[in-house]
Amino acid sequence: MNEAISPITLILEATLPVQLVMLSLLGLSILSWVMIVQRAMVLNAASRGVLSFEERFWSGMDLSQLYKEGTQMQRDEIPIVGLENIFRAGFKEFMRLRQQSSVDREAIMEGAQRAMRVAYSREEEKLERHLAFLASVGSVSPYVGLFGTVIGIMNSFIGLASQNQATLQVVAPGIAEALIATAMGLFAAIPAVVAYNRYASSVETITGSYITFTDEFSSILHRQVHSE
Amino acid sequence: MRSLREQLGFGEGELTPKLVILNGYPIAVVTAVTLHIVLLAGLLYLQTSSQSQALELVQPTVIKALLIDENPQVTNQRNQERRRVEDQRRKNEQAAAAQKRREDAAAQKRRDEAAAQKKATEERQRVADAKARTERETREREDAARAEALRQDKLAEEARERREEQARREREATADAAAAEAASSEFELIQSATGLIQQLVTENWSRPPSARNGMRAVIQIRMLPTGELIDATITQSSGDPAFDRSAENAVYRAAPFSELTALPIRVFNQNFRTLSLIFQPEDLLN
Repeated sequence: MNEAISPITLILEATLPVQLVMLSLLGLSILSWVMIVQRAMVLNAASRGVLSFEERFWSGMDLSQLYKEGTQMQRDEIPIVGLENIFRAGFKEFMRLRQQSSVDREAIMEGAQRAMRVAYSREEEKLERHLAFLASVGSVSPYVGLFGTVIGIMNSFIGLASQNQATLQVVAPGIAEALIATAMGLFAAIPAVVAYNRYASSVETITGSYITFTDEFSSILHRQVHSE
Repeated sequence: MRSLREQLGFGEGELTPKLVILNGYPIAVVTAVTLHIVLLAGLLYLQTSSQSQALELVQPTVIKALLIDENPQVTNQRNQERRRVEDQRRKNEQAAAAQKRREDAAAQKRRDEAAAQKKATEERQRVADAKARTERETREREDAARAEALRQDKLAEEARERREEQARREREATADAAAAEAASSEFELIQSATGLIQQLVTENWSRPPSARNGMRAVIQIRMLPTGELIDATITQSSGDPAFDRSAENAVYRAAPFSELTALPIRVFNQNFRTLSLIFQPEDLLN
């Protein structure tokens, strides 16, 4: 009775289904942390990219100059991300259509906007990758933990039935062991839920700034088309 | 071109595209695994350093409370065993007494014979004092022979005594073994009783909020064989009156320990008439 029961020994001496549940929860937790860290870096880079590109865009430099710089960067094998991709897609389409004299103004605008929309949805997709995984870890792993707990408590009660004297010492370790599964489920779920909420809102902010930029850029193009 | 890019404030952004190329997966994996390992190690360390022993009994020392099987078959067997041992002891005693009686009777007879002979010789001396010089010699010889016989008798008796001694020692050895067995079952009884008391007291103990790790109150309780509590006195205060009071209340609330009625009275008297309980919160966080 005075022997200290530590969670470690409880985990090691747990029954097989409970151990499997715990193992899968540990795996889920590690995976979700991989996603959390990776998403944090990607989203950080994306929001920094938005700021730095907007600064360059509104610095008053010539747009074709900006486009050429991007081409140079591509040649240097520096990948182009985020806003710059949208800008390049729109600008390229715009220039291409404008060189064909047969295309009228509205068609040019429409083509440029379509190209930017496509680029936008690609970028959005990049940002939102793995967020669904985090969400499902957050919502499912408590249930998985609960499943392990139910199995564990069931086992301990089955063991109790074969005993003719039911004392607390007989029941307690089994229940403690079972509760560890719930604890692990919560341990996996809480960071995943927090991260999902945070990342979803930051994805929203970033995509919002993409949309704003798209609108601003297409108004610039519109002005240019109609000034001729 | 590069200088232009730096001039445009893109220099710091160079790290960004690289991270995105790798998508940061290696770093993320390393971070996540390290985090889990650190957490597990921390848990392990906390578990090994803290002792979750809330309450211990001083006397008798408790290692682990065993619950003794109280099914009637075992008790019956135990009773039969005890009866058998007692029977054997009684039989042995009876045998020893009978032998002693026999020996006494033999000695008495010898003494009687000797007395009769003496009387006879004295009479003969008185009657035929003059004629018996040579006869006395022969008689003396006879006496010597008789003494010799007596001596041999004694030797035989000694041998028998030695044999008896050995037998007695053997009997004692078996009795010792039986006693040891009884003692081990007694130990188990004590353990289960202390375990029960500890459990009851712990269950009834509600620690006050002022309880801190390292506090220690010792309470001496006196009990009746029925398990009723006579009194509980604080022999060592923790320094916190509320804590002391909570410990005392726990004992009063847990009483009576009706399970103690099952103990043999001797065991109770030796171990449970007065008992010291140590109250010590060890698992608190503060």
